[in-house]
Amino acid sequence: MAQPQHSFLDWLGNHLFSCPFKANFGIDCPGCGLQRSVLALFKGDLIASFKFYPATIPLVFVVLFTIVHLKVDFKFGAQLIKIVFAGVAVIILINYIYKIYTHQLI
Amino acid sequence: MSEEQETPQENKPIDLSKDQKPEPAPFQPWGNGPVTPPPFQQPPPFSQFGGGGFGQQNLPNATASLVLGILAIPACCFYGIFGLIFGVIAWILGAGDMKKYRFNPSLYTESSYKNAKAGKICGMIATILSALFIVMVILVIAGAIANPQMFDNFIKGLK
Repeated sequence: MAQPQHSFLDWLGNHLFSCPFKANFGIDCPGCGLQRSVLALFKGDLIASFKFYPATIPLVFVVLFTIVHLKVDFKFGAQLIKIVFAGVAVIILINYIYKIYTHQLI
Repeated sequence: MSEEQETPQENKPIDLSKDQKPEPAPFQPWGNGPVTPPPFQQPPPFSQFGGGGFGQQNLPNATASLVLGILAIPACCFYGIFGLIFGVIAWILGAGDMKKYRFNPSLYTESSYKNAKAGKICGMIATILSALFIVMVILVIAGAIANPQMFDNFIKGLK
């Protein structure tokens, strides 16, 4: 039962969209690593997911929470979405600046 | 998403017509006989949303604005163009709905107003991020075109 799932994830790992910016210029874009990170999250590897792209876990949380919020309509929902979303943006910026300084762009 | 977007718009003309009918016998929206039908006609579209009080409607674009604003960040691939488009659309829809709510606060639910506000802010954040990325892309392209050799050296230096 677990075998086909595993192979499907492996297949997915070999068929990710390639970043056009990276393909043309050889430099990572601010979104590079997101797909690998989500894939690692599917495999249950939180630490690898964080290493590939630190903003994935809050981003996935925001997306799932928004779906629930639109159905259930929490009182604090909109506020929480705003805060987490701003946090995601800050994490992405910091991550990209950190990548530039530590020469991980290539 | 398209369903959610359509239902309020379909509902709006009905609601307006209801609003126009009570005007001949104004200022007694709850006690009047002819006005009692609207609460019965309105619930079906709102059952999806779980919101909406008596005669209150969700803002038409609040959900779309929120969803687009959040999708704008994952969509920042492909030179940030999709992120910019989604972000700007979310910003415009959210701002328009906020204006609508301020124009007539009693007609719309407060939760949808909050959603529209969140969508607007998420759209703004995503727009700023995508704009930064696009500026960087333009700088890199300009640099690569203006001085290809220096660009190659720059890439080698990064390695």
